[in-house]
Amino acid sequence: MAQAKIQSPQPYSRARPRSTVDWSGYDPGEFYDEIIGKGGRARPATRGLVEFLRKQTIKHLVSRQQAADLAIQEMGITFTVYSEGQNIDRSWPLDIIPRIIPLQEWQVLERGLVQRLTALNMFIDDIYNKQQILKDKVLPREIIDSSPEFLKECVGAKPRYGVWSHICGSDLVRDSDGTVYVLEDNLRVPSGVSYMLENRAISKRVLPQLFDRSSIQPVADYPSQLFDMLASLSPRAVKHPEIVVMTPGVFNSAYFEHAYLAQRMGVELVEGADLVVGSDDKVYMKTIRGLAQVDVIYRRINDDYLDPEVFRPESALGTPGLFRAWRKGNVALANAPGAGVADDKVIYTFVPAIIKYYLDQDPIIPNVPSYLCVNEKDRKYVLENLATMVVKPANESGGYGMLVGPASTKKERDTFAGLILKNPRNYMAQPALKLSTAPTLCGNTIEPRHLDLRPFILQGKNHYVTPGGLTRVALRKGSLVVNSSQGGGSKDTWIVDTKAQ
Amino acid sequence: MLARTAERAYWLGRFLERAENTARLILVRHNAILDLPKEVQPGWDLLLQVLGAEQDFASRPGVANEKNIISYVFGERENPSSIISSLTGARENIRTTREIMPSETWERINSLYLSVARRSNKDLPRSMRHSVLNNIIQSCQQITGMLSGTMNQDAPYQFIRLGRNLERADMSTRIIDAASAGLMGKMDDISPYRNVLWISVLQSLSAYQMYRLNVRSNVKSRDVLQFLFQSSVFPRSVVHCLREIESSMRLLPEHKGALAVVGSVHQKLAATDCGELVGVALHEYIDDLQLELVHVHNAIVGTWFHPVGK
Repeated sequence: MAQAKIQSPQPYSRARPRSTVDWSGYDPGEFYDEIIGKGGRARPATRGLVEFLRKQTIKHLVSRQQAADLAIQEMGITFTVYSEGQNIDRSWPLDIIPRIIPLQEWQVLERGLVQRLTALNMFIDDIYNKQQILKDKVLPREIIDSSPEFLKECVGAKPRYGVWSHICGSDLVRDSDGTVYVLEDNLRVPSGVSYMLENRAISKRVLPQLFDRSSIQPVADYPSQLFDMLASLSPRAVKHPEIVVMTPGVFNSAYFEHAYLAQRMGVELVEGADLVVGSDDKVYMKTIRGLAQVDVIYRRINDDYLDPEVFRPESALGTPGLFRAWRKGNVALANAPGAGVADDKVIYTFVPAIIKYYLDQDPIIPNVPSYLCVNEKDRKYVLENLATMVVKPANESGGYGMLVGPASTKKERDTFAGLILKNPRNYMAQPALKLSTAPTLCGNTIEPRHLDLRPFILQGKNHYVTPGGLTRVALRKGSLVVNSSQGGGSKDTWIVDTKAQ
Repeated sequence: MLARTAERAYWLGRFLERAENTARLILVRHNAILDLPKEVQPGWDLLLQVLGAEQDFASRPGVANEKNIISYVFGERENPSSIISSLTGARENIRTTREIMPSETWERINSLYLSVARRSNKDLPRSMRHSVLNNIIQSCQQITGMLSGTMNQDAPYQFIRLGRNLERADMSTRIIDAASAGLMGKMDDISPYRNVLWISVLQSLSAYQMYRLNVRSNVKSRDVLQFLFQSSVFPRSVVHCLREIESSMRLLPEHKGALAVVGSVHQKLAATDCGELVGVALHEYIDDLQLELVHVHNAIVGTWFHPVGK
């Protein structure tokens, strides 16, 4: 006897949803838009995304955004903001519409990033050893002498492979003509890579259909690349070097990331008090079995706080003797202390010359034209053009203490003019770039918002560049400030192979 | 494994178990009160007694009625033994040991915490109680299951297990103590409700069904105590908890001293004649036992978290 068919209800016949996304009002204006090209058409690499978006109702997109927000809350993806003396844990802001870069363009940028970090590491190693670049007068000696990031304690140190900055996060921006520039390099303790990884995880969770339409480079192997790079630094020739991530603790704004990376690499997350330096100048961690030797420390704690014996004596976050152990070559620190000498915003202006000097190559990714306030001519130009420039202090990060000319008031410009005159070495300025935009879900509409990109570059024995990076987006209309501490959001970043589509 | 991380894993185990037990405690009390006529009903203050929170509660404004006591035990952040405080503790401890925990477990604990936190400043009316508390119990059990099903059963897991079982043993003794005090105060031996009360004690420990399956006789004081203290098969009996603790310890380094401390508690407990534990004797016995559980805790701390002279 034939078996009866399993009964199933008739599918409901539904009218096509009407209020699909309306692109006619989408206008990036004079800016380069990463997704929508001339005449409101999709770019070759973004076709799949734009077609998909056109078919969605705004209501559906909003519901997907809410699902993303909920997932972020439940996964506990947070960052901490310091505000009025308090630490506030905020959920990580992710806009669900991805940002797309074609693979062919990315491959060039990738080479440019490797070139840049290679030269910068040669520069740092030179500065702390022979100082040939100063002797050859490619860089004025005063700039190093006056740099607060130059640590005299590091002179003569020789980290393995001559690499000082093992993990670098360089910020890239695109101007209105489509050129990509390096805005700054973060050679000390760059953060954000965990958010890059989590953004992808969330995207896959809330918009899985989208992934069928494009050939997207995966990002998930970053932790294992990081692990391999760190393992390559071990001073002991052992099969399983003891690697740890060192965090200032749960109150640090990037604690989430510290725990995340330790977890993904399967290594211990230590605080300063978990480590001791023995009389043999080796580093040990306190375990349930007693003391265990540590070979490589991925430290997410600033130079200043690393070792109270050498730097800030009042620091309770570090470990006494750590610097000594590093100098003796008994432990590897990533990044090495003193690496910050090369991400000073004044040094930045010399990076093209540094690349030329060490590698005899032209920079693949250009610098943003920059004016050093310490030079009289530059200073005069900056002071006369404050309204169209971005002024940055040489040694701040996180978007603090800067002036964005086009968005500033007369009073703010006057204050900055005073600051520049008082301490010109501390300031540099760049023309306010017309940062590119991408469609972003803002309430119930899709609007263009400005963004940048922070790829992460690893250098140990070998190089590695994350495919894409962390796209940060300024959520306020017209704003150019993308830092999450200043109201910025983020986007998943896709490197898409158009040939494979 | 880092000593600091080990300590946090241990407290994670304790806090999770505490949250689950407290939720169960409220739920069982709620059911028992619905079952009994007013004149023999044990008051809600029994809950405070079990948690050792009578003094703290009395020092705050508000009368000791059902609504206030439940709010205090459920959602009061200033009460260190409330459910919300336990979940906050569990969340903080896993948040700071995320690198060694399966990530789904963190997500489950975080979302359990968030769901309770959203309710914590509201009343828990009778109509909502069952679903809210049951959700907490189920979530805690799910988390325990996830840990045992997905985590390497090496040191980190053993510390969670140590915490869970020590907390469980402690809570079992508290429940027996408070309930027997209630029994003595309100009714004599022949009261027809005596049986119902012992049943509610068993229920507080999710033990009723297992008791019936295992003991196969009527509910009697001696048998109940024997089951809850000494059963080698019931996972919430004190002896069973101690055995679990011993088995975890054996998998940890340098365990000799700590194991000896547990062993002596275990032996004493196994040799006790539960028939003699009536009235004041029971109360004193439990007092001693709780003190010995504190010694076990101290031995754990001294051996693995803050070893002296290392």
